[in-house]
Amino acid sequence: MVSFTSLLVLVVAVFPVRVQCLWPQPTSITSGTTALNLSPRFYIQPDVYPPPADLLAAITQTELYLRTDSMQRLVLGRGAYDMSAVQSAKTLSSLVLSLEPGATVESISTEAVKALGTRSEGYTLTVPADGSTATLKANSTLGLYRGLTTFSQMWYEYNGQIYTVSAPYDIVDSPAYPFRGFMLDTARNYFPVSDIYRTLDAMSWVKINTFHWHITDSQSFPLIVSQYPELAQYGAYSSADVYTPTDIQNIVSYAAARGIDVLLEIDTPGHTASIADSHPEYVACNQATPWSTFANEPPAGQLRFTDPAVRNFTASLLSSIAKTLPSTVFSTGGDELNINCYTYDNQTQAELNSTGLTLEESLSVFTQATHGALIAEGKTPVVWEEMVLDHNVTLSNDTIVMVWISSADAALVADKGFRFVQAPSDYFYLDCGGGGWVGDYPAGNSWCDPFKTWQRAYTYDPLANLTTTQIPLVLGGEQLLWTEQSSPTNLDPIVWPRAAASAEVFWTATTLGGGALNVTEALPRLHDIRYRMVQRGVNAIVLQPLWCALRPDACDLNA
Amino acid sequence: MFALKSFLILGAFPAGVLSLWPIPKSMDAGSTFLKLSSQFNISISLQSPPSDLLAAVETTMYYLKNDKLERLVVGRGAYDVQDVQDAKALSSLKLSLEEGAQVNSISTEAVKNIGTRSEEYQLHIPADGTAATLTANSTLGLFRGLTTFSQFWYQYDDQIYMISAPTIIQDTPAYPFRGFMLDTARNYFPPTDIIHTLDAMSWVKLNVFHWHVTDSQSFPLELAEFPELAQKGAYSSAAVYTPANVQNITTHAAAIGIDVMLEIDTPGHTTSISASHPEYMVCNQASPWSTYANEPPAGQLRFTDPAVVNFTTALFSAVAKTLPGSLVSTGGDELNINCYDDDAQTQAELKSSGLTLEESLSKFTQSTHGALIAEGKTPVVWEEMVLDHNVTLANDTIVMVWISSNDAASVAAKNYRIVQAPSDYFYLDCGAGEWIGDTPEATSWCDPFKTWQKAYTFDPLANLTDSQASLVLGGEQLLWTEQSSPNNLDSIVWPRAAASAEVFWTGATGPSGSPLNVTEALPRLHDIRFRMEQRGVKAIVLQPLWCALRPNACDLYA
Repeated sequence: MVSFTSLLVLVVAVFPVRVQCLWPQPTSITSGTTALNLSPRFYIQPDVYPPPADLLAAITQTELYLRTDSMQRLVLGRGAYDMSAVQSAKTLSSLVLSLEPGATVESISTEAVKALGTRSEGYTLTVPADGSTATLKANSTLGLYRGLTTFSQMWYEYNGQIYTVSAPYDIVDSPAYPFRGFMLDTARNYFPVSDIYRTLDAMSWVKINTFHWHITDSQSFPLIVSQYPELAQYGAYSSADVYTPTDIQNIVSYAAARGIDVLLEIDTPGHTASIADSHPEYVACNQATPWSTFANEPPAGQLRFTDPAVRNFTASLLSSIAKTLPSTVFSTGGDELNINCYTYDNQTQAELNSTGLTLEESLSVFTQATHGALIAEGKTPVVWEEMVLDHNVTLSNDTIVMVWISSADAALVADKGFRFVQAPSDYFYLDCGGGGWVGDYPAGNSWCDPFKTWQRAYTYDPLANLTTTQIPLVLGGEQLLWTEQSSPTNLDPIVWPRAAASAEVFWTATTLGGGALNVTEALPRLHDIRYRMVQRGVNAIVLQPLWCALRPDACDLNA
Repeated sequence: MFALKSFLILGAFPAGVLSLWPIPKSMDAGSTFLKLSSQFNISISLQSPPSDLLAAVETTMYYLKNDKLERLVVGRGAYDVQDVQDAKALSSLKLSLEEGAQVNSISTEAVKNIGTRSEEYQLHIPADGTAATLTANSTLGLFRGLTTFSQFWYQYDDQIYMISAPTIIQDTPAYPFRGFMLDTARNYFPPTDIIHTLDAMSWVKLNVFHWHVTDSQSFPLELAEFPELAQKGAYSSAAVYTPANVQNITTHAAAIGIDVMLEIDTPGHTTSISASHPEYMVCNQASPWSTYANEPPAGQLRFTDPAVVNFTTALFSAVAKTLPGSLVSTGGDELNINCYDDDAQTQAELKSSGLTLEESLSKFTQSTHGALIAEGKTPVVWEEMVLDHNVTLANDTIVMVWISSNDAASVAAKNYRIVQAPSDYFYLDCGAGEWIGDTPEATSWCDPFKTWQKAYTFDPLANLTDSQASLVLGGEQLLWTEQSSPNNLDSIVWPRAAASAEVFWTGATGPSGSPLNVTEALPRLHDIRFRMEQRGVKAIVLQPLWCALRPNACDLYA
């Protein structure tokens, strides 16, 4: 006798072709093959008392997506052949949200910025095929938010009829890793606040929960800091190319309400030439030439960290910014420090002479001062990998390290016992492969060639070369956009849907059967979320001719 | 002593000339500021100016007022304010034709036979505020001159000004064919995207829109005589080009100096025809697709079948009739032979006719080309038709080199006229990874990404003899759209496609007499990119703004 349960298990094992709508794939899902209509009077009811305002807003937003996605199914006929099943289908009238017994009611915004590893993002979603009420349960409003995101991806539209094709659904879902990020550099080229909002929206659709904001660099300083207005006044590209304190608050609030924590980075002591526009006295090798002697890219210029005044300024700067942010993480950067810059700087050498410190010892003093300021504000410092692999700097044990130079470096960071975020350029850099941007170099190539395809990112193994005991050190990962060759004009196409690849790697981690994720299974679902993103106003690129998107696997290599 | 002075200035290559793309063939520019009078007007001394010339004047006036482009220098114009205040004001630009020139519309001039169009012009902008003058042999030349004129102007604090008066320009293109190709079959592009692309093309003096309108994946072209082709072969009833759309596109193009060269790729790349006519198709969606085609889906016209020959011939005739241009492409690339070897009907037809496959292909091609020639068109083909097949073609057939830049010499050796479209320099789609599924490690077949620098350093005459040089009509950059759609059209095309626009307009050497080079070009390419963005085209940035504001500061050895 075949029980209903085992039938469902069977269905899961063959992975029914029709569940192509979810990204990231839930960690546990059973689904059927029954069509189900969404009632024109469909509503979402929060059985949460009192319902936080951001949860109510998320419900309104979900109801809006349901009505306006107008997403036709990616099959031949785009839904024309679904109509007979839809006509005889039951109708779903409501989804009821509730928290597990004993759960404390807090806003999504509060839950989203809790310390890494203490957030509850899991949820249980049941959508019966018989038209009876669907239910979404979680331990937190953040979990409910993730469940709403999943729910909103199930629905297609054809001829005004909104329907799903794979009811019933039984989903028990929670992320494999607590840190799932996307990084944007707003210093090489500037991005208006509206572009950041849209990017946060798209991130939330694939359950990315950290916006790593590389906000300043040597090229420009767009961040207006109330205590140091001169930094942006002189260091921004123009008086319009800035983020005001209000902009920052708006972005942070907008993100938190969508389950996203903002990890702000003020890269120091390198990547700071733009500070010289207001404080030339703090910057060594300011715009020195040839730039290639003093920096990895133009312009040269680094904070003269041996100078106590620079140390005080930087610690105070970080402190004043950190105060305004709800997040518990904050990055001080620390990549690509150029030593020539200090070797040739008379003042640095004089200060080292008088203190008797080596450059590395002085760097450690500087870093302890800046990190100390952050810790005093309740923040956990985040650094790029060089701070632990190339320098001799004393860091607190809970410092988070970002691996970027190579995926091979993760094991080295793990050996030092630090928690880390996987951001390797050889898998996750979205800017690679667009050719060289340095001038007078016709044959110049991208330093991190080739282009990192979604397939490349998707096949990343976050635990490669790590021992079992090192596994808990992996907090997750992120894809990154450095913007030497990007601006608002190509933001969406260069980021989406590629950045969704790591979103699934760090949420789902393995297939339902426990095997490695594979691109062949993923492609139809990635098409689906890409077309849904376009419907929601994000200019994600196409991955194939539409002919292929409408015929799963027909354009596979051996098809 | 005018010549000496001009030489000196050209040698110094004044900063103000950073505004022009493509750089004129011959130019003498000063360094005096000149502002645009708020009463500035463009007058035309023609008795009955064509309506498209009037429209071009109106568009130019619109750009002058609305470009609002700040100079790409530190301060963005703040340091120009005093000079602008002291500058003379220009109140008018006077357009006229050379004596004896015939007055035709731009649209008429733009679609004349290749090699017979007159695109040259002379532009003089005095520094003292007296009227600027633009003269040409044709309204098309006037249009090119207006394009140049509109690129001089910057804005700061509501003041519109230029910084390189006086300027005297004598300009004419090095090559008659300067194109851009868009594939609208792998993914569909609404007519508005095409119109918008045509506008951007006109800003850099491109003059041919090569429209690869159909392919195996979809057939979006609606034809009155063959409505079933798009009805069943388009991606949807909305993803089509109606006859009215095509007319609007060719009309808009011609009015801005662009000829539309439509391509119906045959006999390969035609699977989408099988949606309405399966009986014309060989190896239709056969698998494994890789045995029968370079990409999925497989499917080619069964050209051995007289019914297919008649159908295709009638199709070209019907398409050609609706187009004002003199060029129509029948494609002819990537013909797969397995497809015919394994097809019983093809083999039976070859047997009964006693022809080889190549002889049959020649017959098919002569029939389709004959139909085009009967409509007054010059056929255009991809290089395989002359390099890989044994097909009889008219001597004036134009051949597009695409597989490799090395193949230009082979085509020239056969004495055909050539358009340079080599994948190793000009394919805009390369370098973004493989799009075929189930291939996690694969890269783009034409890796790496073709940078603007790569395109810009293309030598159109490489490996050709002096006598073969005249066979080179020009060239084009191309966007195949397996991985592109309206979402990334602007960003993948611009400003890269401007690179070949300068290669084929300006030619081997710039106005100073020295060879084109990427170091000199970059500040000007920044300028046209930022101007494109001001005009609504989402061109990508080439560098951090920090670099764009400091010419040469981000050069390799700076």
